[in-house]
Amino acid sequence: MRKVLTFENIILNLKRFWQKKGCLLFEPYNSEVGAGTFNPATFIRVLDEKPWKVCYVEISKRPRDGRYGENPNRTQQYYQLQVILKPAPKDIQKMYLESLTSLGVKLNEHEVKFVEGDWEAPTLGAWGLGWEVWLDGLEVTQFTYFQQAGGVDLKVIPVEITYGLERIATAVQDVGSMFDLKWNNDLTWGDVYRQNEVEFSRYNFEESDPKLLTELFDQYEREATRAFKQGLVYPGYDYAIKCSNVFNLLDARGVISISERANMIGRVRSLANQAAQLYITSLPGSTEEKQEKND
Amino acid sequence: MIDFLIEIGHEEFPPSFLRRTADDLTYRLEEVLKRNRIFYRSVRTIYTSRRFGVIVLGLTRKQKPQVIEIQGPPKKIAFDEKNKPTEKLQGFMKTHDLKRTEIVVRKTKKGEYVCGRKEVAGGLTEDVLYEEIPRIIQSLEFPKTMRWNASGTRFPRPVRWIVALLDRRPIRFKYAGITADRYSMPNFHFSYKPIRLEKPREYMNFLRHGGVVVDPNERRKLILKRIKQAIGKVPGKPLYTDAMIDELNCMTEYPEAVTGEFDQKYLDLPEEVIVTVLKTQGDLIWLKPTNKFVCVFSAKKKALQNVKKGYTRVVEAKLYDAHFYYQNDLAQGLEKMNEQTKGMMWLKGLGSLYDKAFRMSKFVSVFPDGDQAALKKAALYCKADLLSQMVREKDFTSLQGIMGGHYAAVSLKDEKIAAAIKEHYLPNYVGDALPRTQEGAALSVADKLDNVIGAFLSGNRPSGSYDPLAVRRNGYGVVQVMAENGIHVSLFTMIERLLGLYGKKLEDGVMKDFFSERMTRYLADAGSRYDEIKAVLATWQGDIADARHRCQALAKFRDKTEFNKLVIGQKRVRNILKGSKETGAVQTGLLKSPAERKLYRTGTRALTQLEVLLKQKKYGEVLELLLSMREVIDTFFDDVMVMCDDAALRKNRLALVRYINDIFIQYADFSEIVIEGEKS
Repeated sequence: MRKVLTFENIILNLKRFWQKKGCLLFEPYNSEVGAGTFNPATFIRVLDEKPWKVCYVEISKRPRDGRYGENPNRTQQYYQLQVILKPAPKDIQKMYLESLTSLGVKLNEHEVKFVEGDWEAPTLGAWGLGWEVWLDGLEVTQFTYFQQAGGVDLKVIPVEITYGLERIATAVQDVGSMFDLKWNNDLTWGDVYRQNEVEFSRYNFEESDPKLLTELFDQYEREATRAFKQGLVYPGYDYAIKCSNVFNLLDARGVISISERANMIGRVRSLANQAAQLYITSLPGSTEEKQEKND
Repeated sequence: MIDFLIEIGHEEFPPSFLRRTADDLTYRLEEVLKRNRIFYRSVRTIYTSRRFGVIVLGLTRKQKPQVIEIQGPPKKIAFDEKNKPTEKLQGFMKTHDLKRTEIVVRKTKKGEYVCGRKEVAGGLTEDVLYEEIPRIIQSLEFPKTMRWNASGTRFPRPVRWIVALLDRRPIRFKYAGITADRYSMPNFHFSYKPIRLEKPREYMNFLRHGGVVVDPNERRKLILKRIKQAIGKVPGKPLYTDAMIDELNCMTEYPEAVTGEFDQKYLDLPEEVIVTVLKTQGDLIWLKPTNKFVCVFSAKKKALQNVKKGYTRVVEAKLYDAHFYYQNDLAQGLEKMNEQTKGMMWLKGLGSLYDKAFRMSKFVSVFPDGDQAALKKAALYCKADLLSQMVREKDFTSLQGIMGGHYAAVSLKDEKIAAAIKEHYLPNYVGDALPRTQEGAALSVADKLDNVIGAFLSGNRPSGSYDPLAVRRNGYGVVQVMAENGIHVSLFTMIERLLGLYGKKLEDGVMKDFFSERMTRYLADAGSRYDEIKAVLATWQGDIADARHRCQALAKFRDKTEFNKLVIGQKRVRNILKGSKETGAVQTGLLKSPAERKLYRTGTRALTQLEVLLKQKKYGEVLELLLSMREVIDTFFDDVMVMCDDAALRKNRLALVRYINDIFIQYADFSEIVIEGEKS
């Protein structure tokens, strides 16, 4: 049998690749998030004009996507490898293609297709333009030039590259199910996570307590607001993230109506926008001052 | 003669407006060349997913020389008595660097003036292009743009290189932080090494070696050829549209094709599901009715096996999901899904989805045609599929209604109900198909009208660009389906009935205003002129299909001179009636002159005929009839003084005019028609 690149080595290769491109190797956030974008290393750091290059793995929790471990390609929890480069380098597309090569994907033996995708994170007041990247038809990455975050127009445009690690690994290892991915030479992804999937699917869909979650949402929202009033960006934003996760849990439980859903998304977005505003206004030296200096 | 190449290299462009953008660039470039008197033999537009541009062959090296005339002072102050140039003229000549031989006299409306007339040599084409090309690029318009670098330039996707080559010389203008040069880029599946171009004529060939077929027409043919080759002897009919091939053309640089196949068991799924899966997975082409599909891709031929395996896997996974949802939905049944709509809020303050469906099931008795029992039941179940697993999945939300139809066929075992549910979202967009069954059309109108009224009642009225619930589109849909499916129910009756079912009220006129706008838009789209629409709507009673027929008949008559005279007559009538409030009946005893009596007789006869013709909706004949009254009316106005001194006579004549007017406005208010040359 041919030697496969294990899941953990895929992660290592990508980290090494981006480290060589000058990225700071960061770590996941300590709270449940739906995407690596929520991590302050992305959401907060893209707001200012200072250069920032970072690479980290994030656990993405999407309660609605749970399938009790029965769907080969869909789970309520998976890994993303998140790369932020600010400002976006002009040869970024080439860099990205090289990162695929670092995983043994030869461009002359595969099709890499950039499929138009306008990206939007409504709970973060963020949007950008870019693509889904398909490797032989499988979406393995989202590639986005951020235009706005926390409702703020970004002055320096960052590029966000988000690899779906399990997706790309199934392509690299040539397996049909993410549960069959070789994590290392002894264990599969399924060995590590199947039970977790079964239990969380049951919890998310059947057992979570909507009343408690609704209360938590309200309380987290209040605490976020209180922290912002004290001028505390990170602690306030931390509670905004918690709101977002609680919202996802409620959504999965199927207890929020269409219009209530829009309302709650709006409330989380408002918190994210406050965090962004507060961060910008608390930067040393206002934009005007800086401009004078430059002149 | 020289050649010119402009190529704007970018990251993958949105396919929906790539072609338009490339055509626009060509158009603007040609305009600039013409305006600057630069001649050329031919132009060719090129585009792929990663570049667009123009090749111009056989350009002149210089602009054509031009004679210009500059107006100077009036002749009488330009020359003295001895015909010598005055100081004024000398000043003019100095300012514009003119010789005495270049001074001519021109006659103008304001008298004779001197002019400086000189020949200006043409500038270099190169200089013109250097100036103009960045401006042309800047003037391109896009539906959506982004920023990506410090230049702050807005473009649909980042521009990464620009080739601007005039014969052997690059025109090094700057745009978006890039300096144009002679280097293009190949297809990245082939290489990442820039392609150096010595001259434009090398371009197509060199790029082809780099894995790029730049000519869109050639590439489109190649796509179709590749599809044919891939199919080979596989049976089945390739299911694709021109739009699909166009989109593929905008997403490729070097098309290849391969077939894939999925498990036979998925052929149990409704066709629409299979088509949706294949479409969203990259415009894959189904070889109906087999379990095979064709995938057009843009990479090296060597990738064929990986592409086949990859797409097959993705398609299988999607079909697996779809199959899973479908089985679960069938096991659950439409009845249970409908039960769940009770827990799903529709619009804030207006109850659940079930409440909406229930209201619609009461409402549909307003429609006289079709199978009333089936229609009522279809209304009651038409929102159930929104709670199906299939439609709740984002890849399949577009199958709302369609899935409901399938589930209804199984659960309710009634084809009429199934068809009505299936069709009731139609038309989804402008140009979409209309419902084909009577029940489907009725349900479509009921749903859309309910959406409109619901939005108005729940504080979601459209205003300006704000229309989150697409109320305008729904309103337009009501009008279109009523008109084209020939549903002759008064809109106002429907609105009243529906508001009654809501148990709520809206301010007077608000619905009428809203629908007048939708009607105007619709009738204009259907080819009517605005004054015709205005004339018909002025006396409209609420039957939408009828209004359309009246407009159509009106259009056929309006070119006749007779018709114009009729309209002029009606305008006179309107003016005469403007100040009068008389409403009494005509007293035949007071009809003094023959012209009056004749008009009254003609009117009475016409009225009887009119009622029959209107009932039969023979609008051509109605117009013939009205037209036939024209002469009698004209004679009346020529012979009879309406506003005479005798109060009783005046009153009776006004009553007669109104009597005639009332006949006309049973069809339309003809005085709204604009006569050519008339100031409105």
